[in-house]
Amino acid sequence: MTGYFALDWYFITLIFFAGMYCMLVSRSLIRQLIGLEIMSKSCLLGIISTGALTNNLALSQALIIMMIVIEAVVVAVGLSLLVKNYRLTGSIDIWSLDNLKG
Amino acid sequence: MTYHTLLFALVTGLAVAAVMARSLLLSVLMLALVSVGASLILFNFQAPWAAVFELSVCAGLITALFIGAVTLVNPVRDKAPQAPDGSHERPISNGVKREDPADGESRMRFYAMPLVMAIAAIAAWFYAVPFFESLESWARFSSRSSTLGSIIWDLRRFDLLGQLSLLAAGVFALSSIFPGRKTQK
Repeated sequence: MTGYFALDWYFITLIFFAGMYCMLVSRSLIRQLIGLEIMSKSCLLGIISTGALTNNLALSQALIIMMIVIEAVVVAVGLSLLVKNYRLTGSIDIWSLDNLKG
Repeated sequence: MTYHTLLFALVTGLAVAAVMARSLLLSVLMLALVSVGASLILFNFQAPWAAVFELSVCAGLITALFIGAVTLVNPVRDKAPQAPDGSHERPISNGVKREDPADGESRMRFYAMPLVMAIAAIAAWFYAVPFFESLESWARFSSRSSTLGSIIWDLRRFDLLGQLSLLAAGVFALSSIFPGRKTQK
């Protein structure tokens, strides 16, 4: 899939922007994580697009598999923190995380 | 417009829909469709291993985790007792005032998203695309052809240690966040 590099990256930029916008404007922690997921999807597509351009698809796939593992762990820990916070404070608003208690 | 570019446009549209969806559950389902679209793109790039991982882990496991979390924090509204003034306020327990987590978030910023995305798309078309075209000429092509197995086991062997450590750290974090109940004798 060579010859589409610039166009691919145009869409990748837009997907990254959508995820960044979601993280910027949302106050819900779940939406923050959804924005993070969308941004990581755009990074994944960027890695495979670059790998296809430079004839390095195997290395790109190895990096993507590593990235997916990291993504799954981050989301699992983030969602468990969210559920714990909801049980403690009754809110998933990100501004409810502004107090410290030992 | 080829199939390849259409897939990218579809994933972009689904990402915008995931951000703009009013319901959290719909947003999560749109995110799963984004994952399915990304895996179709990976298949189109002749990268089947990454595509299968993306489809099984991101579109399957992560979506299940998200749906579980949404269900836990967003119970069915119809069954929730309503206050006399019709609000979704819940009874106070443990001294914490419990409000519906979906309320209180301004939707105006999400309604402004199509306009912001359109401005970003036009700006990126004129500024980012020439930049990416200039980047294309900087590409260094790989001469050797290697398989995924040789890359993972020979070249990136240290990454496997990192992945295993990360998985162990995740399991440790989960077990410390949700400690199991001790049985009383």
